[in-house]
Amino acid sequence: MTSKTRYFVIFSLSILIVGVGTGLTAYYVGFPAGAAAAAANDELRLVSSNATVVAYADVQKVMTSELRQRLRRALPNQENGRREFQNLTGINIETDITHVIAFVEPSAASGLPGAGMVLASGLFDETKIESLMREHGATVETYRDKRLIVAPQHARQAPPVNDGPAAGPVAAQPEFALAFLRPGLVAVGTAQSIRQAADLEHGGQNITDNAEIMNLIRSIDSGNAWAVGRFDALQSAAKLPPVLSQLPSITWFSITGQINETISGTLRAETRDDAAAKNLRDVMNGFLALARLQAGSKPELQTLAQSLQLGGTGKTVELSFVVPGAIFDLIESAGNQARQKQPAH
Amino acid sequence: MSADNSPVAVDDRPAPVDSGGLAGPGRPAAPSLIASSLRICELSLGQMIWSRRSVFLALLLGGPVVLAAAIRIVTATTPFWRFSINGARVGGPALFGMMMWLLYIRFIVPVLGVFYGTALIADEVEDKTITYLFTRPLPRGAVLIGKYLAYLACTVLLVLPSVVLVFFLIVPLGGGRIGEAFPALLIDLGMLAAGLIAYGAVFAWVGARLKRPLVIGLVFTFGWEPAVLLFPGYLKQLTVAYYLQALVPHAMPQDSAVSILMQVFREVPPAGTSLVYLAGIVAVALWFAARAVERREYVLEQ
Repeated sequence: MTSKTRYFVIFSLSILIVGVGTGLTAYYVGFPAGAAAAAANDELRLVSSNATVVAYADVQKVMTSELRQRLRRALPNQENGRREFQNLTGINIETDITHVIAFVEPSAASGLPGAGMVLASGLFDETKIESLMREHGATVETYRDKRLIVAPQHARQAPPVNDGPAAGPVAAQPEFALAFLRPGLVAVGTAQSIRQAADLEHGGQNITDNAEIMNLIRSIDSGNAWAVGRFDALQSAAKLPPVLSQLPSITWFSITGQINETISGTLRAETRDDAAAKNLRDVMNGFLALARLQAGSKPELQTLAQSLQLGGTGKTVELSFVVPGAIFDLIESAGNQARQKQPAH
Repeated sequence: MSADNSPVAVDDRPAPVDSGGLAGPGRPAAPSLIASSLRICELSLGQMIWSRRSVFLALLLGGPVVLAAAIRIVTATTPFWRFSINGARVGGPALFGMMMWLLYIRFIVPVLGVFYGTALIADEVEDKTITYLFTRPLPRGAVLIGKYLAYLACTVLLVLPSVVLVFFLIVPLGGGRIGEAFPALLIDLGMLAAGLIAYGAVFAWVGARLKRPLVIGLVFTFGWEPAVLLFPGYLKQLTVAYYLQALVPHAMPQDSAVSILMQVFREVPPAGTSLVYLAGIVAVALWFAARAVERREYVLEQ
């Protein structure tokens, strides 16, 4: 072997060895925090370590987005919920809140997702909010130097059967409460969750100690809204169709979205093993192929179908997508048609 | 060698093996098949690396690295720019997966197999230098095996570093994490090496056995393989790609209508089965290739 050839072999092997060595180090040492984790790191310390789903939204950006305006025109009834929340708490979601962190944790009794809390950051008139809630019958208690405003508890009625009378009270709803944990940070949720968050202010195990969920959060680089969590928690909480239970076993999921004129995002699922991921990718590929064939006649849906990109390696399956704003115009026109038909009935 | 223009038949007697043939009293024993193969490999490696064909190889493998570097530079210098396909943002690991599929698995690995594999013996015949190798006291099969090993060393030393460079340039884009994607890189490296081994063996056989091996190799790689993978049935089992694609840890990209059809009719054998079949293909192809070199009468056109 000539010295020239020998140098070439040494050079190639060096690249290979340095590359594999660096990768191996990164694999064992860990990973730097992603942009999402950095943005919400402070509030994450108030989230219970048992949380099964954690979500984040940059409310200001979402509310001022072009898409939100379209949605507002398309679904005017959706505004009622926001007004109801404002009437009850005095917080205007649109103007007062900059960003929110929400989480769900399993209830102690069933193990299914039960209690939850929203941590909203922004500018709040604490005195006004407290007095408004008191007007609605709320009581104030002090817990670890925090003023916990607990809304009056209403008994939940069982749904009426066959248009008959309500079946009577079956269970008490968990106490709904609100507390200002820090200046500019309000916690809204069950009283139990808020007490727990107040405890976490003084230390203890929080979500940043949960390596599995934090790995998912750290992997989120951008987007003004995201959610991560255990898939079984999502399945039971969102009551997903039973057909989804036949999918290859998904353990964790994450969804990231950038909401402006469109919603561009990435849905990511982690499966039990590589084989399950491969199966899931095959199933998704089949669906995507069919979706593309079906979307051929509608240009709005065609853009959505064309944007669907399946990816992922190892145990991860990734689906990137863009929901064009025109889709919401379709909803708007469908809503208008429904409203025009209503007086005729 | 004769001076006239008539074809010259290179000695097609059974080649001397070990101490038989040319070894006689007072002569050292002929080297074994393995020793002979390694000697031929050492001799051929330098020739292969610094040949004109390597310019083509450098362009082929430099392309993905340049492309990856360009994407990285644009991402770094243009704020808020993210790589997207049809408007959908694509993260670094997904983009790396696409590059693996479209550039390496579907193009570079088969092309390298065809161009280098078919040329192992054909080049020596074309250059009329095969006589020098066949008149040595070496088993003829060792010439093919040695050249095949040189091909493997040359391509593996060029392809794998190229993949590693692309990985480090592309994966960190869009929040991708090197550590998380690293196991997939190891699988990729192993899978590409398996692809080079398998394609190289198949085309070494084609090159040793058939006339116009390059045309046949290109038809097999870009005609037969993609065509039969499109249809349901057993024909796809007569390809290397069917077993190789089962080892890929990335999702198949949906880049065309053909890809969509491929995904619909795609059957993926288990990784273990694929490896066994690939090993079988390599063993059978190399055995037939060595046998062809041992038995064939190569005619050198004057």
